[in-house]
Amino acid sequence: MRKRAEDPRKPLSLPVIHILLALAEGARHGYAIKQDVEERTGGAIRLGPGTLYEAIQRLLDGGLIEEGAADDEPANGQVAQRRYYALTARGWDVLREELRRLGAILDHARANPRLRKGLV
Amino acid sequence: MRTVYALLLLLFPSGFRRKYRAELFAAFDDEMTDPRHAGASGRLRLWRYLARDLVASAARQRWSAAVSAARRLSGRGEPELPRQQRRRFMETLAQDTRYAFRQFVRRPGFAAVAVVSLALAIGGNSLIFGLLDGFVFHPFPYPQPDRFISVGVTFPKMSPETTYIEALSPAEYADVKRGTSFTHLGAFDLGNRNISGGDVPERVFTALLLDDLFPVVGMRPLLGRGFSKEELASNGPPAAIISHRLWQSRFGGDPGILSRSIRIGGQAASIVGVMPAGLVLIGTDLWIPWGGDLVQVPRNVRPFTIIGRLAPAATLASANAELSTIAAQVQQSHILEFKEYEGWRLTATPWATALLQDVRLAAYVLLGAVGLVLLIACANLTNLMLARSTTRHRELAVRLALGAARWRIARQLLTESMLMAFAGAAAGLAIAYIGLRFSDALIPAQFARLDLKAGLNMRVLGWSALLAACTGLLVAVLPALQATRTDPHESLKSDGRTGQGKAGSRVRQTLIVAEIALSVVLLLGAGLLMRSFVNLQRADLGFSPNGLLTMRLTLPQQKYGSGEAIVAFFEELSRRVQNIPGVTATSMVSQFPPLGFFSSQIEVDGMQASGSMLPTANTTIASREYFKTLQLSIVKGRAFGVEDTPEAPRRVIVNQAFVFRYLSSRDPLSTRMRMVGRGGPGQWTEIVGVVSDARNNGAGMPVRPEVFIPMEQGRDAWNQLFLIVRSDRDGTALVPSIRAAVASIDPEQPVYAIQTMEEAVALSSFQERISAMLLGIFATLALVLAAVGIYGVMSYSVSARTQEIGVRMAIGAEQTHVLRLVLMQVMKLAAIGLVVGVGLLLVAGKALSQLLFGVKPADPLTIFGVTLTLGAVALLAAWAPAWRASRVDPIVALRYE
Repeated sequence: MRKRAEDPRKPLSLPVIHILLALAEGARHGYAIKQDVEERTGGAIRLGPGTLYEAIQRLLDGGLIEEGAADDEPANGQVAQRRYYALTARGWDVLREELRRLGAILDHARANPRLRKGLV
Repeated sequence: MRTVYALLLLLFPSGFRRKYRAELFAAFDDEMTDPRHAGASGRLRLWRYLARDLVASAARQRWSAAVSAARRLSGRGEPELPRQQRRRFMETLAQDTRYAFRQFVRRPGFAAVAVVSLALAIGGNSLIFGLLDGFVFHPFPYPQPDRFISVGVTFPKMSPETTYIEALSPAEYADVKRGTSFTHLGAFDLGNRNISGGDVPERVFTALLLDDLFPVVGMRPLLGRGFSKEELASNGPPAAIISHRLWQSRFGGDPGILSRSIRIGGQAASIVGVMPAGLVLIGTDLWIPWGGDLVQVPRNVRPFTIIGRLAPAATLASANAELSTIAAQVQQSHILEFKEYEGWRLTATPWATALLQDVRLAAYVLLGAVGLVLLIACANLTNLMLARSTTRHRELAVRLALGAARWRIARQLLTESMLMAFAGAAAGLAIAYIGLRFSDALIPAQFARLDLKAGLNMRVLGWSALLAACTGLLVAVLPALQATRTDPHESLKSDGRTGQGKAGSRVRQTLIVAEIALSVVLLLGAGLLMRSFVNLQRADLGFSPNGLLTMRLTLPQQKYGSGEAIVAFFEELSRRVQNIPGVTATSMVSQFPPLGFFSSQIEVDGMQASGSMLPTANTTIASREYFKTLQLSIVKGRAFGVEDTPEAPRRVIVNQAFVFRYLSSRDPLSTRMRMVGRGGPGQWTEIVGVVSDARNNGAGMPVRPEVFIPMEQGRDAWNQLFLIVRSDRDGTALVPSIRAAVASIDPEQPVYAIQTMEEAVALSSFQERISAMLLGIFATLALVLAAVGIYGVMSYSVSARTQEIGVRMAIGAEQTHVLRLVLMQVMKLAAIGLVVGVGLLLVAGKALSQLLFGVKPADPLTIFGVTLTLGAVALLAAWAPAWRASRVDPIVALRYE
């Protein structure tokens, strides 16, 4: 599992892509990432607390994200407890690389008329 | 709540837990405040979701931690390339598997017992899961079935129940349509229609639609199209859509069907579409537009079932929120006219859940019961493996001493148990396959028309594989722990006999106690269900069902336009049927016990509707001879007579439950009552008689108040009646003569729903019968498995204690003493198991008591019976080992020492 996050040539899992996409819009704390992802996927990907922090731990280990300062100032004590996460330079690279790869797959698929018709 | 969550977090490796503790709790608090998770069902959903999420991710983390730990332990510091790793894994696996096979071949008896008991247990689980999957969990082929919603309604003033089928009026449908939660909505009324235009007139179950239903169910017609706006409009061009089944059976699958027409109730309609096979809507075969003028229908005439497809942005909760707003608005504007709107609720529920709400509890009980059988089989297998691993003690010790890693030995044991579990599952699937093929036989005809199919699909296969994997894991845990705790030094030094020790035997005895306790739970459950089924059978229905035959006739309106014509037909039919030899009584009625479907709101003259509920009663049209036919007695006043003509003052007869509930101390014969129906209260009517109660709401339920209306006076409301015939011979033998009598009056008139009263009564307790039967089978299976377990453990214990017994006999113990010694040991285990089992059942009693009738979970007779059965089985299972022990020759035993 750890290898996958470290090695940019390996494809990322779908939840991980969505987490990185969420962080690409700015630093977020865990629950905000979860809400972002759910909203974007229309609830198709639900990140439970276990899955979410497991993925975060893996991305931290892989150096794709880092714990950082919040964009907005925390308003009360409860929020202040939270850790914020942001993409590292490496994280940006890996995400871009991954999206390029997915784009290439899509282009390839579009070139196939049978797929375009929604058959097969 | 947070405590439970904290406990779940204990699943995670401690490092991870320490680091993210605060975050994980904050996430939990956020989930708790999410409006989606409000309410009891929301909370339940949240916990299910959290448990799944936490267990899965904890398992992943533990796994990767274990993998790296194992790598460290096995001394392979430098990382391998993944491909090498995989190859080594496969090699080890192949080696372990070969070794496991050799073990099995060497001890075929052990492997056979293990595989057969697992096959029975896993097969039973797959079979039940398959049945429930086909009939309860995923019964319908609609796409995205969770978003296919039925709108139910509750009128707390009338009844606490939520109804979905034929529950709402067109005006209320229009109210629901104002919302935005649904992309498509449809409503239909159910009915029966005579179709002709072939050789035989046929009666088909029909849905009358207010809107096109295909977009709602999410499927397209197989041929043709859905209804157009014009066809759906009031008095539009007559059109019909037929089921795949009707297309095949009546039209021979004619591909040119769309150019043909069908005569419905004597009127031609063009066929515009054919439904796809497998698309069922409560078993209807014909779809036609409702066609009437909606404005004419009063708000409290509620023949419609509303279904809808949830909009992409909506959730069940948001739809429900919107529906409650709508309900509140309707209440405000119409409460003065319709009192039942006080506190009324509209609810959105997935279609399958709404249809099958009553069966779900029983389904989960069955699934739990058959799960217990598997647990017993697991305990058995664990015991067998433990017993065997003590004899393999030296082998394992040697391997350890030669430098095998402990996890490697555990892995070997795991491979063995997995192999057995999957072999058992494969054999079990064969059992399930055969069982599912015969499942149709279990389904009564009334449900068979729903076309539900149970079979081995991917979900059933997946479930069986999951169970097999869990079984393999569960069975391997204790033996693996024991094996890896072995100290090779000590083991090799000793002679191999003392290897197991006291702790090992305690583990085995605990497992036996657990097996017995689980069997007791199943036996008690089965016993209780059987008793309540028998109670239901014996329940006094208030009438005698023997010798009664029932059938239904619907007179088409085109032909029998007036009430007079309808009554004339039924009177004539009654006269002719009465003349058939063997018939002792015959009558007509609109509904009959043990069930009743038609009821209305009533008012009693001079009584204020007190309490929170509006008074309602079953309303039944009955001919003069009805009470005599059912052998109900007139308690007060008189039965219906020839004087109750349409011109005479309105008269009714009520049952005793009616008097008890609504008239208290008043004399019923000097009291007037009236029904509140379409567009307000009806005429005041005189009560001329009181009839004895018959169970009219199911055999196990209290009798509902009922009002009987003479057929002649109710003639304009009904063209559909049941013919009930009492005879002194086998009812079904009369069917041809009755058919002939009908045909001699009107040769085009079909007779349908032919059933003896005994069949009708049996059908009303179908669920109880099948639950009792299945649970009885599981309990027997559990008992057999437990007996095998007891036998195995006692045999082992006797052989391990041979020397001890030899010594006892050498110093004067008699054979009977030894026999008693061993048997007492078993009885002690059985007694503990019994107490634990009864305790468990009483804890679970609350869920069970909803399924019981006339018996409480703590039923002394059932507990006594189970105690006897269990004692007998335990004695039987222990007899052979005990006898063997008593035959120990002290000289042989001591010489071995």
